[in-house]
Amino acid sequence: MSTQDKFEMPWQYSFPPFFTLQPNLDTRKLQLDAWCALVLSYFRTHRLCVIDVNESQSSPLFSNTTLNRKLSPETISVILDELRKTGNLEWIDKNKRRAWVLWKSVDEWAKVLYRWAVDNGMLSTVCTFYELIHGQDTTEEEFHGMDQDLLLKALRCLEHQKRAEIISMDGNMGVKFF
Amino acid sequence: MNRRVGIGAIDKKKLTEARFRDRGEELAADQLRQLSSQLGTLKSKVEEFAEKHKNEIRKNLEFRRQFQEMCASIGVDPLASSKGFWSEMLGVGDFYYELGVQIVEVCMATNHKNGGIMPLEELFQRVVRSRRKTSGQQLSTDDILRAIDKLKILGNGFTLIKLDRGRILVQSVPGELSLDQNQVIQVAQETACITVLDLKVKLKWQEERSKKVLQDMVSSGFAWVDLQAGVGNSDIVYWFPTLFSASFNSDATS
Repeated sequence: MSTQDKFEMPWQYSFPPFFTLQPNLDTRKLQLDAWCALVLSYFRTHRLCVIDVNESQSSPLFSNTTLNRKLSPETISVILDELRKTGNLEWIDKNKRRAWVLWKSVDEWAKVLYRWAVDNGMLSTVCTFYELIHGQDTTEEEFHGMDQDLLLKALRCLEHQKRAEIISMDGNMGVKFF
Repeated sequence: MNRRVGIGAIDKKKLTEARFRDRGEELAADQLRQLSSQLGTLKSKVEEFAEKHKNEIRKNLEFRRQFQEMCASIGVDPLASSKGFWSEMLGVGDFYYELGVQIVEVCMATNHKNGGIMPLEELFQRVVRSRRKTSGQQLSTDDILRAIDKLKILGNGFTLIKLDRGRILVQSVPGELSLDQNQVIQVAQETACITVLDLKVKLKWQEERSKKVLQDMVSSGFAWVDLQAGVGNSDIVYWFPTLFSASFNSDATS
């Protein structure tokens, strides 16, 4: 993936104890802050929205094969909980298996979508979710490739503000901005 | 030779001694007068020089260092007081005073990251960056060391830890590193990490002593623990972010 090449890990990623939850609470605070920042920038760079807890354990984000260090599932859950506290993560299921990583808040997503509609003359036109997420016209947009459920969440936000209407057509979802 | 005995002789001896004393004091006073007039001339010459080269001293770091050395060799310290001629005429006192404040600011801002210990070079880079917006003065690590030296007046908040090859760590948290902790840093300086076993081999320390010292360093935020190094996870490796970032010289900005 081209975006992956561009992503530069912070120095802590090469620092072996970064992968062991620190016993000193001040140090741990530092460590968790650095991890949260890393997770968010990693997801932003790769335009990812959803984290799967089981899969993430073997992801290069949490596992540095060069150093032969990786985060334990417990430490990962501490980090995710930290992200949740700052409003940067929302659990999708009750069992806490999957979550949205909100490097933009749902509100911010709503604004981005609405701005795109205004800038591209899409007001009063119906766009399907598929077009928004996978369409040719949106490849440069931050929401390109976005998780559909998260998109729905953001559009509901706009619907609430009376700036959009969500339409369902034969099982295909669409939206009309106004 | 006459043998002088009795009261008269003693009186006479006292009189002679008193005369010698008077004469001696006169001579001393004379010398002092001369000396102070010489000193006065010297001081006014140095002042003249300083006044003439004021801008040069403030702007040019090499010139400033030489001026400092000259002053030191004749026993004058232009930074000794923030008041008086030197700072008023020259602003040299102000220069180091400002620098001192900037050093304290940088150290406070990074305290949380490095536990209060930073390589001199990194401190220098950070100070230079924070000054760039405000002044066009050149700066050297020598200036940083002088400013830190002045900060010592305020207590033992700043300490320098000298490593091999001229590397210096600046410690800005109150309370000094213990002798043991200092030794640990010396041993760990190349690899940025250490184990109880290392200390046993290199310093012949008992396990208890090593554990205590390393635990203390973890508690004060100097050291991080790595539990994934050994096969059996029995050996904790202690890492020092300060030494680590010094050797990799990265992330001076975050």
